[in-house]
Parts: sequence; structure tokens; C-alpha cells
Amino acid sequence: MNSPGLAPLIELREVWKTYRMGKVEVHALRGVSLALEEGEFLAVMGPSGSGKSTLMHLMGCLDLPTRGAILFEGADISGLKGTELAEIRGKKIGFVFQTFNLVHTLTALENVELPMVFQGATRSMRRARAAELLERLGLADRLNHRPNELSGGEQQRVAIARALANDPKLVLCDEPTGNLDSATGRSILETLRSLNEEGRTVVLVTHDPEAAAYAKWRVQLRDGQLVAAVKEAR
Amino acid sequence: MIKDYLSLALRSMRHRQKRSWLTIIGILIGITAVVALVSLGQSMQRAVNKQFEEFGYNLVTIYPGSLRGGFRGAFSATFEIDTGLIAGVEGVEAVGAMLYKSAYVKGGEPPSQVEGFLPVIGLSPGIARVFSQFKLQEGRFFTDADHYAAILGQNVPKDLGVEVGRELEIEGQPFEVVGLLAESGMGDNNSAIFIPLETLWEILGDRGKVSMVWVKVGQGYDAEGVAERLKARLKEARGKEDFSVQTMKQLQQLIGQAIGILQAFLGGIAGISLLVGGIGVMNTMYTAVLERTREIGVMKAVGAKDSQVMWLFLIESGLMGLVGGAIGTALGLGMDILAVVITKRFIQTNVLEFGFSAWLVFGALAFSFVIGALSGLLPARSAAKLKPVEALRYE
Repeated sequence: MNSPGLAPLIELREVWKTYRMGKVEVHALRGVSLALEEGEFLAVMGPSGSGKSTLMHLMGCLDLPTRGAILFEGADISGLKGTELAEIRGKKIGFVFQTFNLVHTLTALENVELPMVFQGATRSMRRARAAELLERLGLADRLNHRPNELSGGEQQRVAIARALANDPKLVLCDEPTGNLDSATGRSILETLRSLNEEGRTVVLVTHDPEAAAYAKWRVQLRDGQLVAAVKEAR
Repeated sequence: MIKDYLSLALRSMRHRQKRSWLTIIGILIGITAVVALVSLGQSMQRAVNKQFEEFGYNLVTIYPGSLRGGFRGAFSATFEIDTGLIAGVEGVEAVGAMLYKSAYVKGGEPPSQVEGFLPVIGLSPGIARVFSQFKLQEGRFFTDADHYAAILGQNVPKDLGVEVGRELEIEGQPFEVVGLLAESGMGDNNSAIFIPLETLWEILGDRGKVSMVWVKVGQGYDAEGVAERLKARLKEARGKEDFSVQTMKQLQQLIGQAIGILQAFLGGIAGISLLVGGIGVMNTMYTAVLERTREIGVMKAVGAKDSQVMWLFLIESGLMGLVGGAIGTALGLGMDILAVVITKRFIQTNVLEFGFSAWLVFGALAFSFVIGALSGLLPARSAAKLKPVEALRYE
């Protein structure tokens, strides 16, 4: 645990998320409380429909809870406007998706540059940073390839590079290995582990126990509630 | 920043090439029509101005009635007017009168004799001093001794089979052709026969009546001022204002206004096609927003603000407008040039005069960009307002 007095990177307090499907109310999350310190590697596990993705969206400031509070670096985000949430996402959070979600009209390099474009970085700065990240992820010879010219594993590496573009504190991964074969998946998970070892906070949403094993802390979601937590001793 | 957005927009347009081009064509047609019509109007205006410059601005005309009835009315009406009085007004250098008539003329030698009605215009002796416009290509102007002498408009020799030095018949009277007029910018003069005013009165009656009076303003005098004095003096002498006094500037303005109204009317019609083009852009952009919903979600996830997403789409639609506008402007100007060439070469009139107008080009480009951007406004707003979570979930 970090030194007392320092706020967790992100903290959920009794968070509920309710969706309206026609006349029925669906409770995706029912009173989830969770505090994530900086430098953690958390795996959120659970069957589909358990609320994993909803939890990730809330942690990623993509959505706001119906009830309860979410504190990012100690500050409540519930009352923030869209622009302010976008600011947090752009500067402090990186996303890695199951389907990679690369922009297919752009090259690998340009995809990694994209988050920096929205932060107003100059072209030369962006180019240098994007190239450096892609090289670090072993894609030095793929800079000018478009997503459809890359393998699944390569695309996911580009996505990871994109998530790291603005040097975020938190990297959120939603089933990052779901569309990859197991060997490629393992190498992606290794990459995530090394990111965490560098001090970055990583959240991994998965239903695969083997993937979750890479995390230091594993929580289990069922029907929108946390049912179990395992934390490895340091 | 704008540069990055531009390059992103270009990327996405190139990706959807066929659809982008079809959308651009919609704008292109509208801008082509507007530019062609506006440019044609300008060409017309330029030709009119050129003719007035040839005429010179030191002329004042006096018509019976008022010009409100239109030129046709003005030409067929006649009045009696004291040219001596006019000549006495300060600043008047020369006075000439004209009477427009139509007469039965006969030309050529039998068996190839031609006959029919042609405009016959009576000229008072003063006309030669008023008009430098009466340039003769051949022969001479009337002298005081001439009675049954005629000067032909440029096209008459061909139409009637006569030439300078020969004779023709007007209302059964033989006339000697003494001169041939050089080609005139005033189309009507080219097919008319000119004879001394006295003679016209003699053979067709209406003695003392004229269709219009031309006044040449002396050097150092302001045409407007002379026109004012003429108006006051004539009103005083006649006791009523049953005439109009117009300087060439005023006449030019009048014609300019008429062209302007025509131009605005036709431009408005062409504008409708531009509107349709704009709706095409809107349609394409809505489709693009729908197609790229997931991409928008990704952009928002990586930190794009609503306003940034909006700009991205606005620039893309504006760019489509601009590309359509650029091609349309070029095509529109090309159509004007073609019209000018055709009228000059094949119809042989100088009613059009092409000139490059920078403001028209810049105006058309700016306008087409604005049309594109405006049409993209609603789709861009709907893109900006997408909720990131829902956009990411969109299949």
C-alpha cells in the first residue's frame, strides 16, 4: 500500500450503474467499491454480463455512475462535464480494446499520433514519440503500415502504443487477448506486465484465468457485484 | 491543429472516394451555374461599359416622355422640340436630332431586285458634330446640299444588294448612296438606312417631329450640370416635363441596373441547385457519421473533446464544398469564355466582353466552403454529441 494520506489513483464508492432497456431497468453494477493505488495491476474477472465492461468504462471516465461516487486522484468526477472528462481521458488514461479499434484509414504511426493530435502536440513531437513507442513494442518496421496490413498481434501492439501516447498513469485493457491466439496473447500480457513494472497502473478486464494470472490483484464480478478478491503478497 | 484536421479529413475523403466525388459533383454543378451566370452578367456589363466609353461620356440625350416605358417606347415616340433653344444653353457644343421611321425600300438591279421594310433614320446636320460614333467605312457624310442621299448601315449592302455610288429607292424616291457606316456597337444601326432629316420629313411627313436629340457637352463642362440646365430650360419653355434628359452615365447606370436584376434572378435560380448540392453534402456526412460511429467512440476514448470531433467533420464537409467550388468556378468561367467566343465569332455581336474577376473567384470559393461546412453542421453536431460508451459499442 502507498503511504497513508495520499489518495488512491482511482476509487469507486458504492457505485451503481443502471441502464434502461425499454421499460426494464438493468443494473449493470450494484454497489461496487474499489480503491486502486498507483502502480497496481488489477484483473477484473467475471462471466459475460457480469458488469466488467461497465466497470471499465466508469474507471476510464467514459461514462458516469447512476449512483455512488468515483474519485480520480481524489477528486470526484461525477459532476464533471464532457470536456473535462475528455481532458482526463486524454492525459491520464489509455485504452486497449479487444477489437483493437484502430482507425483503418491511418497508418500505425498516425494511429499512435492520434491521441497527441487532440492534445495539441506539434507534428514533430508526435512523430518522434509515436515512432519511439512503436519501436519499443517491436514494430520499428511497421510504422507506415495500415491496420489491414498488420497481424492481430501487431495491431494490438499498435493499440498499446496508442494507449501510451500521452504517457497516462492508467492503462485500461478490455479483453486485450480475446481476439488473439494464445502465444500472441501471452506476449501481449507480458508487455502489459512490463508496463506495470515500469510503474504504470494497469487494469485488465478478462474472463480468462490464465490472463488474469498476470495481475497482482484479481477481483471477481458477478451480477454487478464484487464477489471475491485475491491479492498477491509483495 | 487545423492542418492535422485537414489531413485527417482528406484521408477519410480519399477512403470513400466514389461517394466523396459524387457529393462534390453536387456542389460543383451548383457553383458552375452560379459562377457562369454571374460571370456572364459581368461580361455583359463590361461590353455595355465599353460601348459607352466608345460613345464618350460628354453626351446628353433628350427623349420624349420618360424612360420608364422602356427603350422601345422611347424610340417609337416622337416630339417637337426647339433645337435652337437647346443650342443656346450654356455648355452645349453641338445639337443633333434623329427621327426613327420604317420605310419601304428597294435596292439592286432587276432581275435581282430586293424590296421590303427597313428602319430609315433621319439625321439632322448637327449629328455629325455630336457623334464621333458615326464612323464611315466608305464614302462621306451628308453635306448641306444633299437631299436624296443615303448612308447605309454595315449590313445593308449585303441585305439589299447596293453599294456606295449606286442608287436605291425609299418610298419610291431614288436616293444616291454616299456612304457606308463602319460596324456599330449599337446593333440596330447596322441594318438601318440614314438620310437627311429634312428629306425624311418630306417623304414621310411628321415635319418638325424627332425621336431623340443628342447634345454634345463642351470641353470643361460637366455633363450632369448641362443636363440639369437643359431640363430646367426645356421645362420652362414647354410648360411641362413631357421629356427626359439623360446623360450617358445615367443611361449606363440604368442599363447596369437592368443587367443586375436579370443577374440576381438567374443567379437565384442557379442558387437552388447549389442548395441541392448542400443537401447532398449533408446526406453524405450523416452517412459518414453513422459509418464512423465506432471511430468517433475511439477518438473520444483517446481524449478527443466534443468540439474537436465536430471540427473534424466540419472541415471534411467544408473541404468537399471547397473542392466542388474550385472545379465549379473553373468550369463556370470556362462557360463564360465559351459564350463570349461564340457570340463574337458566330453571332458577330459584341454584347459580351470577358474579364477575369478576382472577387468572383474568391467569393465563389469562400461561398462553396461555407455551403459545405454549413451542410456539415448538423451531422457534425450529432457526431460530437455521441456518447463515447455507446459509440464504442456500435457495430
